[in-house]
Amino acid sequence: MRSYEIMFIVNPGVPEEEIDIINTQLEGIITSGGGSVEKIEKMGKRCLAYEVDKHREGFYVLVVATANGDIIRECERRLRVMDQVIKYITVRTDEDARRLEKIKAYRQKRAARRGSGRKAAPVESVEEAMQ
Amino acid sequence: MKSAAKDKRPAGQKQYYRRKKVCKFCVERIDSINYKDVKLLSQFVPERAKIMPRRISGVCSQHQRQLNDAIKKARNIALLPFSTE
Repeated sequence: MRSYEIMFIVNPGVPEEEIDIINTQLEGIITSGGGSVEKIEKMGKRCLAYEVDKHREGFYVLVVATANGDIIRECERRLRVMDQVIKYITVRTDEDARRLEKIKAYRQKRAARRGSGRKAAPVESVEEAMQ
Repeated sequence: MKSAAKDKRPAGQKQYYRRKKVCKFCVERIDSINYKDVKLLSQFVPERAKIMPRRISGVCSQHQRQLNDAIKKARNIALLPFSTE
């Protein structure tokens, strides 16, 4: 199981109820495949940085989920087929989260060492932990 | 004679003290550079919408790599432009 973020843009002319239908469909795909949806966030209407299919605006929706690659592929296929969805992107987030965890642990360890020691530890760069 | 002349600064030339550039992400302890954070990313995308080089922004190499990834993802989902007209 891996955690993913799916962000997609819906045609701004589509009513909000229809967006809810898309969301429930996606949730259904993910949960029926054994994954879990952490959150579905409607980020609202905003301007696109460039024109997409003659649209200058779009309704952004973000789905954070934990699922297998097959389920995500199925979600992407569905999004591609939907006419209302003009763009989508899937980003894998678990690797990044793990890296952040590591940095956090390293910082805590250093803070603890500095607190107990008589003298402040020499300042090192955090970058060493990131590699 | 010759080497002594080399060491001497030509008269009238100004001396510049360049301030040392520091990585914004290291200083402010920003660990994750997220593609959704348009406000942060747009600081590194000048008006031509190109990614700002490291030699100008002073970002360290690790963070520049993460920044590159984030900007390219943001471009894909139309949060940032690929180019301007």
